[in-house]
Amino acid sequence: MSRAGSSATKAPLPLRAVSVAPRSPRAANRALALLLAAPLGAQAGVGEWSYSRLTRLEAPATRDVRWVSNPIDAFVLARLEAKGLAPNPRATDATLIRRATYDLTGLPPSPEDVAAYVADRAPDKYERLLDRLLASPQYGETWGRHWLDVVRFAETDSFERDRLKPAAWRYRDWVIDAFNHDKPYARFVLEQLAGDELPDASFESIVATGYYRLGIWDDEPTDPAQAVYDDFDGIVDTTARAFLGISMGCARCHEHKKDPIPARDYYRMLAFFEGLKPYKDGGGNATTPANYVKQVPVDFGHERIEEELAAWRTRREALLAEAKNLADEAIARLDEPSRVALAAERDAGLVQRFDRDRPAERRIPRAVQDDFTIAFRFASTEIGRGRATDPHWFSGSPLVDGEVDGVTDDFGVALVAGHVAAGTGNPDMSVHSSGGLADGAPHHVAFTRTRGTGRIALYVDGVLCSEATGGTQSLAAPATLAIGRIGAIDDLRIYARALDAQDVLDLCEGGGFSRSTERVVEQKAGTPESKRWRTAVDELLRLMRPVRETVEVLCAQESGTAIAPSFVRQRGNVHSKGDAVRAGFPEALGGGEPVFEAPAHGESSGRRLAFARWLLQADHPRTWRVLANRIWQHHFGRGIVRSSNDFGRLGDEPTHPELLDWLACEIVATGGRLKAIHRLVMSSSAYRMASDHRDAAFDADPRNDRFWRFERRRLTAEELRDSILCVDGSLDLRRGGPGVYPPMPAEVLATSSRPDEAWGRSSPEDAARRSVYVHVKRSLLMPLLSSFDLADTDTSCPVRFVTTLPTQALTMLNSEFTNERARVLAERLARERPGDERAQLARGVELVTQRPARDDDLARLTALAHDLRTEHAASPDDALRLCCLALLNLNEFVHLD
Amino acid sequence: MTRTPRNTFCGRTRREFLGQVGCGFAGLPLVALLSRDGFFANDPKSNPLHPKSPHHSPRAKACIFLFMYGGPSQVDTFDYKPKLYPLDGKTIDIQTKGRGGTKGQGRVVGPKWTFSQYGQCGKHVSTLFPHLAQHVDKLAFVHSMYAESPLHGSAMLMMNSGSLLSGSPCLGSWVNYGLGSENENLPGFVVMLDETGGPISGAKNWSSGYMPATYQGVVLRPKGAPILDLACPPGTTRPMQRRLLDTLREANEAHAAARPHDDALAARIASYELAYRMQQHAPEAVDLAREDARTRTLYGLDDERTADFGRKCLLARRLVERGVRFVQIYSGGNHNDHNWDAHGDLVYNHTRHAGATDRPIAGLLQDLAQRGLLDETIVIWGGEFGRQPTAEYAEGTGRDHDSAGFTMWLAGGGVRAGTSFGATDELGNAAVEHPLHVRNLHATVLNLMGFDPNRLSYFYAGLDRKLVGPQGAEPVWDLIA
Repeated sequence: MSRAGSSATKAPLPLRAVSVAPRSPRAANRALALLLAAPLGAQAGVGEWSYSRLTRLEAPATRDVRWVSNPIDAFVLARLEAKGLAPNPRATDATLIRRATYDLTGLPPSPEDVAAYVADRAPDKYERLLDRLLASPQYGETWGRHWLDVVRFAETDSFERDRLKPAAWRYRDWVIDAFNHDKPYARFVLEQLAGDELPDASFESIVATGYYRLGIWDDEPTDPAQAVYDDFDGIVDTTARAFLGISMGCARCHEHKKDPIPARDYYRMLAFFEGLKPYKDGGGNATTPANYVKQVPVDFGHERIEEELAAWRTRREALLAEAKNLADEAIARLDEPSRVALAAERDAGLVQRFDRDRPAERRIPRAVQDDFTIAFRFASTEIGRGRATDPHWFSGSPLVDGEVDGVTDDFGVALVAGHVAAGTGNPDMSVHSSGGLADGAPHHVAFTRTRGTGRIALYVDGVLCSEATGGTQSLAAPATLAIGRIGAIDDLRIYARALDAQDVLDLCEGGGFSRSTERVVEQKAGTPESKRWRTAVDELLRLMRPVRETVEVLCAQESGTAIAPSFVRQRGNVHSKGDAVRAGFPEALGGGEPVFEAPAHGESSGRRLAFARWLLQADHPRTWRVLANRIWQHHFGRGIVRSSNDFGRLGDEPTHPELLDWLACEIVATGGRLKAIHRLVMSSSAYRMASDHRDAAFDADPRNDRFWRFERRRLTAEELRDSILCVDGSLDLRRGGPGVYPPMPAEVLATSSRPDEAWGRSSPEDAARRSVYVHVKRSLLMPLLSSFDLADTDTSCPVRFVTTLPTQALTMLNSEFTNERARVLAERLARERPGDERAQLARGVELVTQRPARDDDLARLTALAHDLRTEHAASPDDALRLCCLALLNLNEFVHLD
Repeated sequence: MTRTPRNTFCGRTRREFLGQVGCGFAGLPLVALLSRDGFFANDPKSNPLHPKSPHHSPRAKACIFLFMYGGPSQVDTFDYKPKLYPLDGKTIDIQTKGRGGTKGQGRVVGPKWTFSQYGQCGKHVSTLFPHLAQHVDKLAFVHSMYAESPLHGSAMLMMNSGSLLSGSPCLGSWVNYGLGSENENLPGFVVMLDETGGPISGAKNWSSGYMPATYQGVVLRPKGAPILDLACPPGTTRPMQRRLLDTLREANEAHAAARPHDDALAARIASYELAYRMQQHAPEAVDLAREDARTRTLYGLDDERTADFGRKCLLARRLVERGVRFVQIYSGGNHNDHNWDAHGDLVYNHTRHAGATDRPIAGLLQDLAQRGLLDETIVIWGGEFGRQPTAEYAEGTGRDHDSAGFTMWLAGGGVRAGTSFGATDELGNAAVEHPLHVRNLHATVLNLMGFDPNRLSYFYAGLDRKLVGPQGAEPVWDLIA
């Protein structure tokens, strides 16, 4: 493409700018001076538009006004008319519903959807279609994936160990949810860049800062200090490309060759992120998870818990008072010996008791081994050792614990990441409560064990929370029990019997709830009273205390509010400090010194929030243009700027600069709600054009720079896999959660240095979930997905490659996956059209192409089935299966008009 | 006003390239094939795998990289250090950096093998390589290699892709990007792994990084179906598949007829025919039954210890004969003593791995030479780094990693045979004479294959990326005949 060509495309439109004043003349001059001073100054003017403030433009006038559905069409048509071109006619309804359904959901429509849409005569059927698709949860999965490409989402670190990033999937789910809930783009940006620094930070906004932890990371670098800055470089480079459309990475070592980004600007930008804690503090290959993983209450920022707790307390106290009053009245009528006997019954089997008045016991002799109950109260603000994802009693911090290394006939109660967990050994069996018990408040715990059945049960605050069946041997191993290695413990009682639920409630509440009490109420107060008592106690036994569950979140963390000085690092060498710099915005984009406001929690400096707020100015030269371009790219197959991560001198010129600016302003005007923008773009005549070839138009504009037709495209890797699963009826649309592990061919596992441990195993249902949920391991990608041009996982991927290779055909013809899917599809056809091969094949065509089968389809497929049976001795089942395999390989299946 | 950037390969401007990525890359690898069939006018530059002319007349058409994963010890193999023997067991002051960190002192482990001189060049080779020693006059030794990392993860990436960080294309990818493929029935960049598993970081070691997957290494297995999904699935015969493909082609051609001038559709139709042919040709390429008994013996296929690596070396020759540009064979896989990473018992470890590779490598050199292939094929031998002259632990003979100085050798393809270049200090610890960075090695290989390493570039993310990095690297002219 010659320069002359691109400047010619700029000339013809008469455009009227509504506002043209740059924010500050000084900044504009500075930007211009940099542009002129940049190397290769011969091309002054190229890319300059991308440094100018965003301004609102009016749509141009066109000769043909009927084609113009909205201003997008005016911009497109004006350029077509200037070149004497006409747009393609409208695509058929069947083409359009298939295009729109893939575009918004990444999945094919059902044949029934297509038929109903084609038959629909209502004038608003297209609008209704868009509404339905935009409301579908599959929308977020598809558009979220586009964003995951840009931020190089993966769930492992790469390098030797290719370690799992804890709970990285929460970030993926956050992205999907953000699209599905139409989160305004400004909020989308703020939460990722500074979700922990926002005044209204929430669980979701903390999860969003996982953005900073997605990159490759060498856990055993040869130069640890340099590695910290390699990680910062990944953040700067990805952030600059994702949000600003600039590749800044090369300015790390030298002045940017083409764009006006001096190395100083790079380090000023890096300084915004320099407060982030590194992955590790020490040497070796150990990590410091506390630097990048945090336990966060799931309701953080939503304040549900206080209300729920208040309601729980009110209800519980009312029930307790009711039952207790009834019990007290009845007991008052007992004679003295009966009262004493009743009290004594509670202590039956009590073998050890420790109160705060007998403090400092760290170990006590074990006195129970068969049937027992360990009950106590504790309060702690520390959450205890171990992981919330696997709260096993012996991995936590001991509360009352008999665990001894190397001994298996043991038992204990521990605090594990905010969960109380208890269990018995040989075989190991553990029960645990919900998390969130390390809230500083006192909690009553009872752990019971019955040897005869092996039943173990855990009660917290008088309510049963978990039970299980463990071993039935005598638990004689620990000679002593460790007491209270975490928090404060009081009122410890050990019984040589398993208390039942009422006994535990009775113990927790100081009497009035045991079965003996019930008898007294029955005898002394009468049946109506005992029924009221029973009802209250039944509810108490079920009334769980609301807990503030905390979970592991991969997130940004800084060390405090202080801002350490930043430096230029000469030639990118961290050990070679140059001038001191302060965080600041790139000069070419207006420059300026930010003002930092540290968040009230005092854990970070506010630098990232200042950066995010700068990005989100309504007339920012890049933010909204870059976003508008990405949206256009995924609707039309290419961006208005084809190099969607590189605006400016390094990238392509926009084919429709005025349209880009108009669309960017429209995004600002809608408050950054993208669903409105999808609706706008997809309602244009430009989007609804046919993809047909026209000789004259092709000769005049072979690259389709002016959008005289809609670009045909191949399905992406994920669309291909998901569509195959969809047409055979197996696609599992469950959403979210940890990544899944579809079967990996043994040959591919063998490429890993630890073939046996390289990949997990999921249930068949999980293995049939959407591709966006497949675990992303940097050193081991699913061959089906990677061979169809999955995004590179190590650097930001703005545009996927579309390669066509014979190895792809081999995968589609011979892989276990496609052959298994063909088998399942054949079964579906046999089930839905029993006993009629022609009808089966017709249904197959219909499912795969979403149109009715034609005679030529059926002629080809029946001939294939016939020949396979007669000339190749295939069974009817095998013949049908191979016909299905042929269907899955059709160009019509994998391409969209 | 068209301007051709000076340092861009093929005269392709970055904007054209990005444009292709955005809208026109589909089908391109097959354009050459299709144009022969009359689909397209000649436009060779739009096909990434079309055979291309390099910058200058190449000395080598192919490269076989024998990757001694884990890091073989230089002082026990080819870097003869007589002064090290008498120091065995003595603790000396020495600066080392390895897995165990930076140290200022260490207990010397004297070389565990003796050295003798071989060939006209009189090269010292240890008793670990009795067969290979017969071919020293074909080899050019580099004793002054150094790398930036003494840790496997990053060092492997550096030896393969020139970068300590993952995400960059490997040497094999660059060669294929630059030269294209001579045989459309076989991948141009082939990797053969050890029986015990891949090297650490697995596929990252043959990744095409930011280049399209067209250029990534394809794992080839010496037994069974050589390439993933090459064999027809159980229950499907070749004739059945042919019949299926006929139906598929008819249907796809009917679909394409209604959509004229769509290169992507045409390319995908052709890709199925190419795949069908690959299923025939690729097994032939790896079918060793066609090799005579003498050749099989030459490569050590008659001995259990050497059969596996020998089979891979023999395959490498067959692949190179058939136009494959870059073949990488891993000696060693998995972890610990499954590869050359001799931290514990040096004698056990190196006896095992040298024993498995010595005869096959000698056989490969001899076979390539007698078939006239050695002149146009570079053979590279080496690991991601070497090993220290001192022990890693208080007890035992294990050596820690040493990236400050280690030995590699090259042969064939325009390499100056029978020479040794550079030197480590008298204990073999660090390169002191003509230290050569891994990038110099890469630059030398690219030069032999016809490229100016400082001009072969690929535009990505704001920069003309090069295998030799932004700072560039010179080929080692002394290594080039």
